[in-house]
Amino acid sequence: MMNTLSPSRVSLQAIGKSFPGVRALDNVTVEVAAGQIVAIVGENGAGKSTLLKILGGIHQPDQGHVFIDGKPADLLSVRRSMDLGISLIHQELNLADNLSIAENIFLGKQPYRGSRFLPFTNRSMMDRDSSRLMDLVGLKLSPQTLVGSLSVGQCQLVEVAKALSQSARVLIFDEPTSSLSGAESGRLMEQIKQLRNQGTGILYVSHRLNEVCQLADKVVVLRDGQHVGTLVGDDISEKQMISLMVGRDIKQHYHRSGHEIDRQQPALAVQQLRYRAAASPISFSVGRGEIVGFAGLVGAGRTELARVLFGIDPILGGQIQIDGRPVRYRTPVGAVEAGMAMVPEDRKAHGLVLPMPLCRNISLTVLSRLGSWPWYNRLAETQLARCLANELTIRAASLQQTTGLLSGGNQQKVVLAKWLASKPRVFVLDEPTRGVDVGAKSEIYRLIFELSAKGVGIMMISSEMEEIIGISDRVIVMHEGSIQGELTGDQINEEAVMSLAIGAAA
Amino acid sequence: MTDERSTENHVPNTSSGWSDVTIQVVVMLSLLAMMIVTTSFVDPNFLTPGSLRSVLRDTAIWSLFALGQAVVIIAGGIDLSVGSMICFLGVVATMLLNSPAVNSLMLMLFSVIALAAAVGAIHGILVCFARLQPFLVTLCSLLIFRGLARVITNDKTVSYSSEHELFEFLGSGAWLGIPIPVFILIAALCPLAIFMHWTVPGRYLYAIGFNVDAARFSGVRVNLLRTVSYVLCAIMTALAAMLEASHVVSVTPSNAGLAYEMYGITGAVLGGCALRGGRGSLLGVVIGMAILRVIKSAVIFLGINTYWTFTVTGMVLLTAVLIDSLVRHQRRQS
Repeated sequence: MMNTLSPSRVSLQAIGKSFPGVRALDNVTVEVAAGQIVAIVGENGAGKSTLLKILGGIHQPDQGHVFIDGKPADLLSVRRSMDLGISLIHQELNLADNLSIAENIFLGKQPYRGSRFLPFTNRSMMDRDSSRLMDLVGLKLSPQTLVGSLSVGQCQLVEVAKALSQSARVLIFDEPTSSLSGAESGRLMEQIKQLRNQGTGILYVSHRLNEVCQLADKVVVLRDGQHVGTLVGDDISEKQMISLMVGRDIKQHYHRSGHEIDRQQPALAVQQLRYRAAASPISFSVGRGEIVGFAGLVGAGRTELARVLFGIDPILGGQIQIDGRPVRYRTPVGAVEAGMAMVPEDRKAHGLVLPMPLCRNISLTVLSRLGSWPWYNRLAETQLARCLANELTIRAASLQQTTGLLSGGNQQKVVLAKWLASKPRVFVLDEPTRGVDVGAKSEIYRLIFELSAKGVGIMMISSEMEEIIGISDRVIVMHEGSIQGELTGDQINEEAVMSLAIGAAA
Repeated sequence: MTDERSTENHVPNTSSGWSDVTIQVVVMLSLLAMMIVTTSFVDPNFLTPGSLRSVLRDTAIWSLFALGQAVVIIAGGIDLSVGSMICFLGVVATMLLNSPAVNSLMLMLFSVIALAAAVGAIHGILVCFARLQPFLVTLCSLLIFRGLARVITNDKTVSYSSEHELFEFLGSGAWLGIPIPVFILIAALCPLAIFMHWTVPGRYLYAIGFNVDAARFSGVRVNLLRTVSYVLCAIMTALAAMLEASHVVSVTPSNAGLAYEMYGITGAVLGGCALRGGRGSLLGVVIGMAILRVIKSAVIFLGINTYWTFTVTGMVLLTAVLIDSLVRHQRRQS
């Protein structure tokens, strides 16, 4: 490459970072030169976000050194990292919808006339500077346009302009195209190439491997916090990246008793289901006692499907059958009555009433069945909670302990416990082991196996490849709002799942 | 942290110490006692039967609507329409009594309660199904019903004729020296407390107040129950409105029940309700209202200009909230 001789804009040398229970990064070295696009790829949880957060000054590394323009630098805070010319463009945009493009670009540092104590916005200067920056990123709009009226793609460009206004010399993009349409992604990538040609160093993180192929001069592959490979120039191909990303032995700690799976009589059958987030009508089924893993990239529409199945978002058409009977519902109340249970993705927001005692959380789904309406039986409630707490080995000081004070794993067990109490026919698990320690994880798996042995149909959404492959009897892979493919038995392997997940044909 | 304190595979069912709400109720009760002692020490006339009866009567009437407010606040909402509803329903009750078509007291009582319940249901439907902010919906009602009360009376004070002795007895009478509203309060408080603490919907209202999404994701009929909370509040307000109308005899549409929604909210907060929802005790609310009413008397008996009443009330509320926040912070640290 033409720039290999120039000193690195940013150089991360042998970076290591641990969080309680996890080695997030281990001996990772990344160098970004001026006028170079370096892509970082890896599965969910491979350590990409940790690396970005270290560069952004949000986390400090335990080991290793950061050099900027060849000089050692401590990225001790977000402010410090910005001052050194590093700009992180987050996956979620941080713009004020009610302000104009110019005001957003200069937020917190508006040029002014007059004294420091009575500053008047220097509008003409702000607009002139904004126009110049907007030209650089290819945004052909008036600087006075309200950000609220822009498309997501245009907002991304405003973010880039904002980063450039801070005289950023290294731009970091975290999944910039995850919420963009194809055409918008194309335009953004063109602009990123332009910025590279002007000498900016660029670090690019994306799940979309085809984009990485088009864009990157160098690809760094991470797996489980390890730097497993670097691809340069012609070596960059999707196939190479995938084999580096997943090349790992599945640990055999997923043991399940062999039992009958009844596919002839599905616990859940979904036919031609249409809803707002579905790109095409969705059809699939989950047999009695079957564990169906739902794989896909973040944003592939799996959580949206789960929400629709649980009656939270509206169904626009199609049919759902539970245990062979057609069911219709428009609310979670109806879904629960039909025999559904759901462990939601966001445990704290949707799964638990954190300030309430764990006993009350466990009984929340079945309180009306404990006693004759409108009364509930306190003794029965306590017995139920104690029984389930013991079965799931929930570790707490008492049944009256505030749920929010429990550890993540124990909180997740409380969510499972409250749904076990309702004796569901179909169990939807959305990221059941997110933020859960290893011990609780294997207990949750044991529970999933026990449920399936009892004939409950299980739909498990997970972004952890190991989990999907280790647990599932069958894997359904989603891509951009529709089902991309289905894998059974020996077909289930990481390469197959990953290539379906990035949109390749089965 | 929590894992280490566990016993092997057995989770005991004991609560650890007193809950935040219990502590607040105890603190408020001591504050009330302190205020009563101080005031009667300065002027023993505070303890005359007449003065005490008046304090008890007002506390009872105010507590009725404050309890309604508390139910809404516990379920995570707020009802700003209470003051205007007191006025509007008071006017309607008086006019119904005076109209020749309605000669039975029972008919009047039921019509007013039904009217209030309908308004509460509309609040609930607008909040739950039209997804409007409770603050906004009930703010509109505050304006609408104050206006309506003035329209239907041509902004003239209305009063019921002296022949309605039974109605007058409800608000102004006494039995065994205790004002009748106190008995009505007890009759309303008991079922309401049982509802909130021992029934399924009551428990669900607390859960909704803490985290409406988690309740919805657990299959709780969130919309129905939130609507119920507004209906309950309106019914309690109707009871207070009729007792108030009965006691003061004449209702002035422009200022009857003015700022009562603020009394209700103040009382609920003093009684341990968190405005974020999910927390609060009904008994605490009654104590809170007693504090408000005693402040009003204390200002007079201590010889302070009565213009100070609101200022003192505000300071007491602020102090109470500050202490509560500090105590809670301390407990979380330990």
